[in-house]
Amino acid sequence: MHVLTYIWRNLKRNKLRSALTILSVGFSLALLTVLHGYMAMQGLWGKEAEKHGRIVVMNSQGFSGQVPIAYVDRVRSMPGIEAATPYAWYGGNYKEEKMPFAQFATDPAAVFDVWDEFRIDPAELAAWRSTRNGCVVDRRLAEKRKWKIGERIPLQGTFYSFNLDLVLCGMFDSPKNTDSLWFHWQYLDEGLKQNKAQGSGNAGTIFAKLARSQGTSGVAQAIDERFVSSENPTRTQTEAAFAQMFADMLGNIQDYIRNIGLAVAFSLTLVAANAMAMSMRERTTEIAVLKAIGFSRGRVLVTVLGESCWMTMLGGLLGVAIGCLCLQILHQVNSQFFPFAIHEMLGLWLAYLIATAAAIGLASGLVPAVRAAQLSVIDGLRRVV
Amino acid sequence: MSNSHPEIGNPIVLVHNVCKEFHRDAITIPVLTGINLRLNRGDYLALMGPSGSGKSTLLNLVAGLDRPTSGTVTVCGESLEKTSESGLARWRARHIGFIFQLYNLIPVLTAYENVELPLTLTDLSRRERREHVEAALEVVGLSDRSHHYPRQLSGGQEQRVAIARAIASDPTLLVADEPTGDLDAKSAGEILFLLERLNRDFQKTIIMVTHDPDAADRAKQVLHLHKGVLVEGQHAAEGAHAGEERS
Repeated sequence: MHVLTYIWRNLKRNKLRSALTILSVGFSLALLTVLHGYMAMQGLWGKEAEKHGRIVVMNSQGFSGQVPIAYVDRVRSMPGIEAATPYAWYGGNYKEEKMPFAQFATDPAAVFDVWDEFRIDPAELAAWRSTRNGCVVDRRLAEKRKWKIGERIPLQGTFYSFNLDLVLCGMFDSPKNTDSLWFHWQYLDEGLKQNKAQGSGNAGTIFAKLARSQGTSGVAQAIDERFVSSENPTRTQTEAAFAQMFADMLGNIQDYIRNIGLAVAFSLTLVAANAMAMSMRERTTEIAVLKAIGFSRGRVLVTVLGESCWMTMLGGLLGVAIGCLCLQILHQVNSQFFPFAIHEMLGLWLAYLIATAAAIGLASGLVPAVRAAQLSVIDGLRRVV
Repeated sequence: MSNSHPEIGNPIVLVHNVCKEFHRDAITIPVLTGINLRLNRGDYLALMGPSGSGKSTLLNLVAGLDRPTSGTVTVCGESLEKTSESGLARWRARHIGFIFQLYNLIPVLTAYENVELPLTLTDLSRRERREHVEAALEVVGLSDRSHHYPRQLSGGQEQRVAIARAIASDPTLLVADEPTGDLDAKSAGEILFLLERLNRDFQKTIIMVTHDPDAADRAKQVLHLHKGVLVEGQHAAEGAHAGEERS
């Protein structure tokens, strides 16, 4: 018989209590897995963006400021820039759905030069370029929504006072599902002008592709210096930094996640410690018997700690598995905000979560284990010896 | 299991002038006073006396579960009052077999696993452990119940498993506290017969605490404790009688 057999049988002694403790650890670890998975995804997003040598020009005041459309040509003409395109977030509703996928107003002539890793059929690209209200979408978005070429896609403006009546001209393939729809920036701008609505002439942001030989910081600095004295000074950064800034708009989410994680771990420690303390109290005589027949303090300590760790590790593994499943479902349902499948995100953060479960086991088992190790055999056996 | 003959002049248990006091708040309670005891290999001692006379305390001292306030306790050549906690744990695993009144088997382990439990503290291989366990269960006549859990056994069978656990590691000394106290007459008879057999056939040294004069009759020697003082050389019935007279 191995000590693990004894530990496992003890866990099954009070099945309901063990199951409830394991489930409480499991569901809390599932929550932590989703939160930490989101953080890991942000990091991956940044690393992915760094590969492609793109920079983003936005108003120095942030998204509330304008980037005049004239800046696009000026950026294009600067040394070290291969291509540049306006890229304005539309954020419209589709039928009854509120912003169900990403929609950007851009320049069909340049956008595939900036995202040169994306692929589109030349005939479809030509059709889009020649259709004023045409659009192209990520192929996975089209497949999810069962859209065909020629599909009419009406979008109701939320930020802009102009509704779009788009026609699907093509589908592009991207390394990651972008869940995006691209349409003519000109179509939006003309509509806004016709409606005398605010926002016309605004590129939103400018995405630019750097020449391979160019360093990011020098080009970004040159762009910002060029517009520093204008009405709309700019802030230029790498796509990775832009992605991080976008995430930071949600607040200091990493600190929130860490604090939530600490609170969850602390409360779990109390829950598991209570379960272990109850279990040990019920087995006082049994522990005294173990010590009487020769179990040392250290062996008793390790046995009790092993039991609490085993319990929280089971909960931890269950929780991480549930959390990973949730992340995968989120990726499949909303790849715009969860662009990575779980197998692409495997990393140290998962080991950290398993280690957290083990640490909770150690912390929750420490007091009962020390008390069991220090138990007087005489006191424990009082009724029988 | 060893069945070597007693070594003359080399006592298994040597208790010399032992006193034991307990302290409750500011009150000192003397439990044992000037106890002297010598047991050789193969002895079978029954300790009798009224409740609170100090029987269990003396048993605990001999089994290395407690330390005397004064005096010396030497068991199997080890001076217990000088030995560390961890040293005592190792010593108990090697030299002492415990038999409790309420059996105290581990409910989540089978009879086989309960008997194997003290052997996990030794250096024996898995095969050797199996041989020891099977031999011990054979001695107590429960080979066919080795995979039963304690809840699936009768009280008498549980106590026989507990005896198998006590003898599995071939200890020098068996300490039994009221081993028949929770059993019906038939089962009690079986347990007492088993203890006699362990003493007679395997030369096990046994100290048994009991209130039952019939159980004490089965021992080779009976000592009576009265208010912490040992009364030697009395037969069980006489000892009990003497205790009543002095109280």
